[in-house]
Amino acid sequence: MSGESEPFRAAGNGPDTKATFTALLENSAEELYESAPCGYLSTLMDGTIAKVNATLLSWLGLERDDVVGRMRFSDLLTMGGRIYHETHFAPLLRMQGELRGIALEMRAFDGNRLPVLVSSVIKHGDGGEPLLIRTTVFDATDRRSYEEELLRRRREAERARTEAEQARQQAEAERARLREVLTTLQRALLPDTLPEVPGMEAAAYYHTASPFRLGGDFYDLFSLDDTRWAFFLGDVSGKGPEAATLTSQARYALRAAGLHSPDPATPLATLNTVLLERYADNGDPRYCTALFGILEPGGGGVRVRLAFGGHPPALVLRADGTCEQLFTPGGMLVGVLPSAHFATVETTLAPGDTLLLYTDGLTEARTGSGAETMYGEEGLLSFASEHAPPPPTASSAP
Amino acid sequence: MDVLRRNNVTVTGNADGPAVVLAHGFGCDQNMWRLVVPALADRYRVVLFDYVGSGGSDASAWSEERYSSLDGYAQDVMEVCRELDLEEAVFVGHSVSAMVGVLALRAAPERIGALAMVTPSPCYIDDEGYRGGFTPGDIDELLASLESNYLGWSATMAPVIMGNPERPELGQELTNSFCATDPDIARVFARATFLSDNRADLRDVRVPTLILECEQDVIAPREVGAFVHAAVPSSRLVTLEATGHCPQLSAPQATAAALLDFLETLGRDG
Amino acid sequence: MNTLNVTCRDTTAGPVLDVTGSLDYNHSASLRQEVRLLSLDPGQCLVIDLAGLDFCDSSGISALLAARQHVLAAGADIVLDSVPANTMRIMTMVGLHKVFTLRPAAS
Repeated sequence: MSGESEPFRAAGNGPDTKATFTALLENSAEELYESAPCGYLSTLMDGTIAKVNATLLSWLGLERDDVVGRMRFSDLLTMGGRIYHETHFAPLLRMQGELRGIALEMRAFDGNRLPVLVSSVIKHGDGGEPLLIRTTVFDATDRRSYEEELLRRRREAERARTEAEQARQQAEAERARLREVLTTLQRALLPDTLPEVPGMEAAAYYHTASPFRLGGDFYDLFSLDDTRWAFFLGDVSGKGPEAATLTSQARYALRAAGLHSPDPATPLATLNTVLLERYADNGDPRYCTALFGILEPGGGGVRVRLAFGGHPPALVLRADGTCEQLFTPGGMLVGVLPSAHFATVETTLAPGDTLLLYTDGLTEARTGSGAETMYGEEGLLSFASEHAPPPPTASSAP
Repeated sequence: MDVLRRNNVTVTGNADGPAVVLAHGFGCDQNMWRLVVPALADRYRVVLFDYVGSGGSDASAWSEERYSSLDGYAQDVMEVCRELDLEEAVFVGHSVSAMVGVLALRAAPERIGALAMVTPSPCYIDDEGYRGGFTPGDIDELLASLESNYLGWSATMAPVIMGNPERPELGQELTNSFCATDPDIARVFARATFLSDNRADLRDVRVPTLILECEQDVIAPREVGAFVHAAVPSSRLVTLEATGHCPQLSAPQATAAALLDFLETLGRDG
Repeated sequence: MNTLNVTCRDTTAGPVLDVTGSLDYNHSASLRQEVRLLSLDPGQCLVIDLAGLDFCDSSGISALLAARQHVLAAGADIVLDSVPANTMRIMTMVGLHKVFTLRPAAS
């Protein structure tokens, strides 16, 4: 049995117990005060240090003679700590007589900072008057770094949250701006309003699948001279900015060519040439479907001549409620073959008749979740038959 | 808006006496004055309040924008005075509140008839030809202290204060007072206080003014007291035999006596 | 969600691309990509098998036309095989039966 474990064995009632304790406890009060694992100090009520233990002196690298009677408690603190002491610590201590676990920073002689936790108690005299302040100081370096880590993490989390929110708002704003630009651009591709054609009503309905996807559809209605009007409707391949470029080219080509030809197929041939010249050899063929029509009012009706370039049939909704497709086969997509042929068909609209033109966006649109639920030409024809004759403003036209 | 509730206004003392408004500084709340109030209560109508964000005020009325400058605190003072219909009141401002009083006086001169500045400082940061005692880096340290103590507060402090055996009601109030100080609010108040510079405003003070300073005060050293005294035309400087920044706590009798003396010279002894 | 799957196999006559799914705006690019990677010898024939085609819109037709251009540039030929009835009707309507060799689906 070693001597060190003697006290434990002696915790019984052995005869040596008392002697062992006495040996251990000799001078212990003073020694414990001086070399305790925490700092002790006592100050007068004005903060002047009256007594301080060796532990605190060694932490701060100070000599007892420089401290006792010469320094105040707040002199041991950093400047920021002094303000905190004066504005929080001292008032509270005065008012409630004790204070525990306050985090402060002390300043060592060599300039190093020592994070500490401070507890103070006021000792009162017999008459209740405050006599002195007893203070313990614990080294809180580890605790403080842990706290700082926690704080840092919290700030990081807050910053990340703020940044994410800002990014979201920015993205939202950019999206809104883009939507605005696209909407403006889209409108620039289409006529603002349709002109008045005597004896006829005209209406257009235009809808894109998404505001972020420029539609490739284009249409126009314009007068050729005092007695004739022309219209066209087309759909360029693809969507997006490239399609929009093509759309504007197609629109202006058709409009310019239409003014100089009595035959509705000629503008389509011109557009065909334009597209082939522009896009044929770059590995990225561009084409469009289009129809071009000429309206000649007269004799109580309107003569309609319509040329097809790969475009879906037009519908004629007669005043008597019947509905027929206006179409001729063989009209080639515009922009595919140099020798393209564009077929022409003709009809006459009587009072109450409606000519309905559409792009394949309508027949290709998926109305349900799968391809099998596509609207389809048959669907459109039967729908139109059920609703003929509609007023122009209520139907998807041209 | 209920200003009296918002600012936790307490009116005590002699209801027929002249009004004395006691304003706390940065750090604590109206409890600061509890050892001085009894001496004033016989003859004066004593008005106590907490700035929004401090003590028992309604923290929901706090906004960073308003309370980022001392003008926001002066706004609180003017609104409390207006609500109580005070005229020519004596405004006693501790620490930063002395300058808040200067701002309130300028904005609403009819409300304030005299100023008592307890340990005032018009500028805490050193400047060319002026020694306020601090550098901007010291203020950052203070902010770190505030933050650090907030972390340990609920766990370490609240039970101690709650368990104060001699005066449980005091402990309760102080816990509430301290815990109500949201670290964000304290940070804004600290910045507004320690980064303020009201030196140029002092010369506009035209009412009787008492400056109370302590012999030893880290936050408002005697040279600052002398500066204020020199800058305010009709001021009286009294140096208390006291240490620290809060003589109303460390030397309440002397503080009360100096205040009463000043009040009497105003001819306001009700 | 619609998908497009394009696989390539080689025969003696030339490569065969099996196209399954939707040739629509969102997916046609992958057919273009697949075709661009093909190297063809003069006289070969590219067969695009559309038996598994669910849907074809104008961008799908664009991709097929791009394939045709690529093939012709190499001096080769192109055949669209097993063209579903619906697609066949559209191709005919827009005149592409004059451009492509089209073989209808078996059924």
